[in-house]
Amino acid sequence: MNTINDTLNIVRDPPKWRSFSKPFWDATREKKLIIQYDKEVGKYQFFPRPTSIYTGKKSNLEWHEVKGHGEVYSFTIARRARPPFQGHEPFFIAVVKLPENVNVMGNMVNCSLEQMKIGLKVKPYWAPLSNGTHLLMFEPE
Amino acid sequence: MGMQDTAIVGFAETKIVEQSDRDVWELGAEILEDLLNRTGFEKQEIDGLILSSSMTGAGNCFWSQTTADHLALEVDFCQTVDIGGCSPTGALARAAIAIDAGLCTTVLCLFADTQKAESNQRPRSFQQEWQVPQGLLGPPTSFGFISSRYDHQFGLDLRALGKLAVAQRDSAVLNDLACEKLRKPITVDDYINSRLIADPVRLLDSVMVCDGASGLLITSKKNAARKGLTKIVTPIGYGERTTYRASESMVDVTDTGHRVAGAKAFKQAGLAPKDIASIHPYDDFIIAIMLQFEMLGFCKQGEGAAFIREHEFNHLGDLPLNTGGGQISAGQCGLAGGGTNLVEAVRQLFGEGDKRQVKNTKNALVTGIGGIPYARNWNSSVVMILTPNG
Repeated sequence: MNTINDTLNIVRDPPKWRSFSKPFWDATREKKLIIQYDKEVGKYQFFPRPTSIYTGKKSNLEWHEVKGHGEVYSFTIARRARPPFQGHEPFFIAVVKLPENVNVMGNMVNCSLEQMKIGLKVKPYWAPLSNGTHLLMFEPE
Repeated sequence: MGMQDTAIVGFAETKIVEQSDRDVWELGAEILEDLLNRTGFEKQEIDGLILSSSMTGAGNCFWSQTTADHLALEVDFCQTVDIGGCSPTGALARAAIAIDAGLCTTVLCLFADTQKAESNQRPRSFQQEWQVPQGLLGPPTSFGFISSRYDHQFGLDLRALGKLAVAQRDSAVLNDLACEKLRKPITVDDYINSRLIADPVRLLDSVMVCDGASGLLITSKKNAARKGLTKIVTPIGYGERTTYRASESMVDVTDTGHRVAGAKAFKQAGLAPKDIASIHPYDDFIIAIMLQFEMLGFCKQGEGAAFIREHEFNHLGDLPLNTGGGQISAGQCGLAGGGTNLVEAVRQLFGEGDKRQVKNTKNALVTGIGGIPYARNWNSSVVMILTPNG
């Protein structure tokens, strides 16, 4: 099989969140992307952390909703994977740079091998998970 | 600098095997006995124990204590270093400072892991929440990202990378302790044609997880002299950096902590890259070696391939590199794998390289890489420069 798998048929367990990442997952129920923002320095961070990576002050953190449109910073084609992905290779895993200056990883759907490249403009694709939350993936704009 | 007052008086390593039928503590016992026999030390003289990380030990939150117990070592300093592939070289640095601070006088640094036979790792990190749901295989995927980005910024020269793979493999053929499965010569074309794992990372870019152990015995120079041990190796420069650029949300994945760890080690040693007689860089993936040439200042960032084309890396070359085969061609002993290249450097400086002995034993440079973070390169970078006879 030389075509790339969009991974949408793979049944994945919803990830366990932490006390400080729960707001992120709650927002995905409505397909909203929120990321942490340090109001003192005016900068964003991803993935969610227990404190600001800039100032070390957790009270500086706010959650801001962002569009999630960005461009591919880097990517790989996974040709080997563990269950439940095993047998569904190859598939894309992309690192996407958002305009808020953060990198976010996700699978890529509706994207051909020929189309994929660093710099490709992408938008969010929300894949439903069994607990009502959604997994952030990307598709070409 | 106190670290320079310490002496490595012995090294030991087991055969690296695809899967060990012997317990990790039995491998540790083999290292201990080899070190006692070679140095003439009595077990009772060892009063410090420092372990590297170990996937087998990972399930045990009393790892260093229970290892001391099994080996019946009564010690005044006992710890595990948990910075992944950096932990063996990190352990040596910590042994040196513990001895210098008077906490203990003679330390067994033991790097033992049987990850293939018995992995007890249960990561509590970002992976389960942020990577596993997207099907990441782990390090190969992350090095896929790093390699793709390197290709975008500077271009990826597969023949140059293949040259490193071939040089290491040729060395593994000369190393009786390397994993037998890997002791078959390869060509640059074999490297390029090996199957893709996580584009553009290939099979022959990658380490194979194996089982095995290695270790060092460290004491003060004064104590080594008192024992009549004239053959010693001393650390003269060390740099360590964990979570490089942690306070930035976007980083260049081709820029690593070795830039700062290397500068520190070179400054402390009073040396420059051109002075290095042999190099033993941490090799989980071939491209990591090239990135380290760039970050350590052997060449500029992005010019690693040209540097590789200009030098020869086998034991008779102008810059001998991982002369035991490195982890990629000798096998990666789990999280103890950082000990393989470290012990090879010490072996060379002791002049015990046998069929693969390098000519220039003025010094050797060893590095470590530990842990793979989210959308970055790696968590920990260490650099150590060693010299024989202080």
